[in-house]
Amino acid sequence: MTYLLELLSSGLAIGAVYGLIAMSFAIIYKSTGLLNFSQGEMSMIIAYVAWSISTGTDGNPFIVAIGSIGFAILFALAVERIAIRPMMGEPILSQIMVTIGLSVIFRALVTLLWDGLPHNMELAAGNALVDFGGIQVRVAQIAVVVMLFVAIAGMWTFFRYSRFGLAMRAVASDDGTAQLMGVKTGRVQMAAWAASAVMSGTAGVLFAIAFELSPSLYGLGLKAFPATILGGLDSVIGSAFGGLIIGVAENLVGGYISSSLKEIAGFVIIILILMIRPYGLFGEKRIERL
Amino acid sequence: MRSGYFKETVAEHINLTDSTLQRIWILIGLIFVVALPFYFGLYGISLITLMAISAIGAMGLNILTGWTGQISLGQTAFMVLGAYAYAISVESWGWPPIIGFALAGIVPAFASVLVGVPSLRLKGLYLAITTLASAFIVNQLVLEFDGLTNGASGIFVNRPTIFGYAFDTDAKLFYLVAFIGLLTVLACLNLRRSRIGRAFIAIRDNDNAARVMGIDLRAYKLYAFMASSFIVGISGALYGIFLSFVTIDGFPLLLAIEALAILIVGGMGSIAGAILGAIFLVGLPEITSAIFGMFGETAKQFLSTGAHEIKGLLYGLVIILFLRLQPHGLMGLWQDAKRAWTLWPLRY
Repeated sequence: MTYLLELLSSGLAIGAVYGLIAMSFAIIYKSTGLLNFSQGEMSMIIAYVAWSISTGTDGNPFIVAIGSIGFAILFALAVERIAIRPMMGEPILSQIMVTIGLSVIFRALVTLLWDGLPHNMELAAGNALVDFGGIQVRVAQIAVVVMLFVAIAGMWTFFRYSRFGLAMRAVASDDGTAQLMGVKTGRVQMAAWAASAVMSGTAGVLFAIAFELSPSLYGLGLKAFPATILGGLDSVIGSAFGGLIIGVAENLVGGYISSSLKEIAGFVIIILILMIRPYGLFGEKRIERL
Repeated sequence: MRSGYFKETVAEHINLTDSTLQRIWILIGLIFVVALPFYFGLYGISLITLMAISAIGAMGLNILTGWTGQISLGQTAFMVLGAYAYAISVESWGWPPIIGFALAGIVPAFASVLVGVPSLRLKGLYLAITTLASAFIVNQLVLEFDGLTNGASGIFVNRPTIFGYAFDTDAKLFYLVAFIGLLTVLACLNLRRSRIGRAFIAIRDNDNAARVMGIDLRAYKLYAFMASSFIVGISGALYGIFLSFVTIDGFPLLLAIEALAILIVGGMGSIAGAILGAIFLVGLPEITSAIFGMFGETAKQFLSTGAHEIKGLLYGLVIILFLRLQPHGLMGLWQDAKRAWTLWPLRY
């Protein structure tokens, strides 16, 4: 029973990481129709920057948080402006190829600018263990679950009540009409990129605190694909829950079946979902089938 | 002044060569390829062999991405399958290499059906995701079935002996690769001008229209996927022979990106483009290291420690810059040059 609870709790924590990154995929997909293949790499770069800030300063968590969030926003805006914006209106194949190109560049940059070795990231009490009735959990793991729910609540209110969220929904449903109605689609796209970078950056930093910081961190982005597909590519909140489901499923497979299957459990799930329910659990059914 | 070339019959249109001049050029090209190993040292020969192998792989991907318009990130999966199919049948079971090559094509082709059936039901970017997933699943399967594949330690592959002729030196291996490359070019050209090839292009350009014309989208996308994986699998087997060792570490995900970059650089959908792109992209790290070498020892050191990263950086930059500035690739440049030459001094 404890074993199951341990698997579940660590599954939820890793699932929250996937969920945050999956939300970033979904928010960009929803507002621009583009799947950003470099999301995991962006989250890795932000984690590395946060690590540099924390080792460069005295490690005050507020400074690190503000610094890395600021960096995440600027970074995303720069990427959007330099690489993505000029490709708007090009075929979707070229746009995706640009993000794939970006992902290789980012991966190379991390190893060139920092190094290829794993690091321990220590920030405030992030590494400390908390006892939950016999189950040991790291503070960072709790923090990431909390962050996921904050993000879900934030996104929900944002889409439901704010003027900008309404604009984003309008762009998602029909960007041509939205433009005619006076919505500045460029600005919506910028906001989507900034929000996605902040969310996936948070996931990356917390993952680095709970486990380790290494150049294989970009794999989180790949693991989050199943989560977005499960939740529905165009459903931001659905993707978050997709992440939790994938994280738990992965851990249960790893704990009860085989540890090597754990790595590919998510990818097997993708193929199954695409066969059965290609628009995901919460997505709209408008994805065209053949 | 001539205003253009006009082809009046279908037969003329689908002919592989249209003039004696062109045939002479092809002959000169073949002689050039045969002569290449005499001019290069060992390093040069291994470089041109690698170019030829990458060109074969890129031509395979071209069928799927360039003609049918489906993005695939599963290049590595099919290369791994091809390499292992060859290595296991030839090295572990002692079958003749010619059957090994056939298996290196057939195994990935059938595996591609498994990946293709679920993903081809949907449009757009789903194939990119499922093929990416398949790359990881294949790697895990290779590790899992270690009785067959030797797990992480891999299989040693000897240079093949085909019909009693041993391809044991580097130059001979280049001739083997170049010959298979030639066969691939012929196969692709003939596929392109058949009904199936025209169907692929129709699907890429407008799938709804293609469907109305009576093309079964699912079947033809699967054909494209199978044909592509067949060729990619053979390139994987050749790569395994080239490395003389087959492990999953020999086939990093970067190879899939490299193949896509080759197509973009060369020009999507063009066989000559795939070959030009392969030459450009495999040569690019060499050119960069030569340029860096001019900046002295520290630059050289930096380059050798981060060789893999520099490669990734270059591929990424090349992909983005070509998509931005020259979306039709090197073949597009060539066409522009040709047009400018014919139409000079008028611009259009």
